[in-house]
Amino acid sequence: MSHLSRVLEAFAVAQGGSAVVWMESPRTGALDVVAAAGGEVTPPDVAVLTDEATPRERATALGPQWITRIPGHTPAWLGVGAVPGGDADVVRWVPMLAEMLAPILQSQWEAQRATDELAERYEEINLLYSISDILGRTVTLEQMARTILLEVAETVGAEYGAIHTHDLASGVLRPVAALRLSPAVEASVIPTDHPVSVPARVYRTRNALLVDAGVLESEYEEAFRDGAMLSVPINWTAPGGGVTLGVVSLSGRRGGTAFTAGDEKLVAAVGSQIGTAIQNARLVRASVERERLESEMRLAHDLQLKLLPAGQVVAPEALCAARVEAAEGVGGDFYHLFRLDAGRTGILIGDVSGHGYRAALIMALVMSASAIHARTTSDPARTVEALLATVADELRETEMFLSLCYAVVDHAQGMLQWTNTGHPHAFVIDATGTAHRLEATDPPLGLGSETLHVRSRPWDRSADLLALFTDGVSDARDQAGHVLGEAAVLRVLAARRREVPSRIIDGVFSAVEGHMGRVPPHDDQAVVVLRSA
Amino acid sequence: MTLDANLHGDVLVIALHGQLIVGNRQALKQRVLDDIEAGTRKVVVDFANTGYIDSSGLGVLVSLAKRLRELGGDLRLANLNADLRTLFELTKLDSLFQIADSRDQALASF
Repeated sequence: MSHLSRVLEAFAVAQGGSAVVWMESPRTGALDVVAAAGGEVTPPDVAVLTDEATPRERATALGPQWITRIPGHTPAWLGVGAVPGGDADVVRWVPMLAEMLAPILQSQWEAQRATDELAERYEEINLLYSISDILGRTVTLEQMARTILLEVAETVGAEYGAIHTHDLASGVLRPVAALRLSPAVEASVIPTDHPVSVPARVYRTRNALLVDAGVLESEYEEAFRDGAMLSVPINWTAPGGGVTLGVVSLSGRRGGTAFTAGDEKLVAAVGSQIGTAIQNARLVRASVERERLESEMRLAHDLQLKLLPAGQVVAPEALCAARVEAAEGVGGDFYHLFRLDAGRTGILIGDVSGHGYRAALIMALVMSASAIHARTTSDPARTVEALLATVADELRETEMFLSLCYAVVDHAQGMLQWTNTGHPHAFVIDATGTAHRLEATDPPLGLGSETLHVRSRPWDRSADLLALFTDGVSDARDQAGHVLGEAAVLRVLAARRREVPSRIIDGVFSAVEGHMGRVPPHDDQAVVVLRSA
Repeated sequence: MTLDANLHGDVLVIALHGQLIVGNRQALKQRVLDDIEAGTRKVVVDFANTGYIDSSGLGVLVSLAKRLRELGGDLRLANLNADLRTLFELTKLDSLFQIADSRDQALASF
């Protein structure tokens, strides 16, 4: 029994009268009985019905019945009748009973209205649910766009449509999903400055556009337009302001009916949700791409280190150790070691300006070329000239240059020859710990002449230590930005000059790391030390 | 790094403030290239307020100097501190640039 019936029953028992409630059917307009407690339930004639507070009386087979409108939104009337042995003046209760019933009917009306609205907007709610679901999942941009397009089209009753996103690199609207008229016709890329295309206009103006059949038709929409079309911008609100990411377009409404302002409002409302979904998908894609690049950088770094020879390759004539620390994955600092004829040793250290992939590629090219040229001549200048000829085009195209020092130690003759193209940190540390700079003979490769020079100095095979390092070592910075300095590096080299080369290298990097603390290196760091065995 | 650019006759003088390094070299390069496009052929870079130039910064200076010389002009340097002078000498880059002790000296050299 409903609440309404219980109230009528209570009235009948307490006041000794019958009571009935009729309600106008929204479908037929006729009065239907919704609750009754005795009395005549046959609906009254329309003439008896009134909106006035004063009850109208009608005669029934069961006696007189007083009818009045129940206040409120519901088109409902109350009928109260006298019953034998009951209250003869039952009519006096009619207004009060009607007032009591009003909130009950109002409550029922609101509940019914909410139910009806829920039913009517089920598809819209389902659309929002679908978008929310996509926002919570990891899907590709294309998967996301197709799912959203299907849901939006279903909600507004469109058979065709497309989602275009703005391609920043090329400045066009690129289709990422389409419901096409024919599988044979692909959705095309749309120039954002096209004067007729509806999606292009919507992208430029950032306003939705509802166009009738035959209006603003262009070849760019032929894959998904059939008659009228609704296009809405896809917006994303960034911390620095809003940005339009693309356009969603719908066409071919079922039954041939026109899109309504309500459709436009709905699609515009979900536009920002679509924008968030697109942005999420793009971020996921960028993250995956970044991970892939980082993985490749790690691989490239490992490969680069494998190109660098071990110090033992110059044994037994020399004792050598070297180390390279790249600042960002792969770097432009390198060294190379060669066992030459007549018991001589070649040592090359170089620094490609800049770092990253391009510097690493030039470094790899120099490494392979130097291995060939070092064996074709004993003259360091001729070796480096041949090297320059090999990499000149790459240096010119990339606007990079190469500072290097190539030294050849003739252990037997006690002679050191070198060609230095702008490499500042090349030294011989003698028996007393004094550092003698191997001065630059020429500007860096790629900046100056193609004819290079060579210099020489005596080599004390019993005491001299050849020490080469790059500016990433001497320019290492601490938290306050202060550089370690070349002098500090030379002090370490002088102090450890009699130790085995690997210990000397450890000492230099220990000084560098001690100075830098937790500050990451801003440049590659390379050190090579060598003495006669 | 910031830069101030002023015309002294037909010579563009660019005063750098701060380090010239890989992260900001493009600003200097683009500024000078824009002026070259507008007809400038003589440039002085004043390093009175610059204490450090990395290898990328040196590369930009060389690149701009080469471009200006191809067009019949030149890029000259002024007010290098002792460390920077040493850097240019150690790398033999002093052979590629005309280096003046002061801005006025650099202007007078054209």
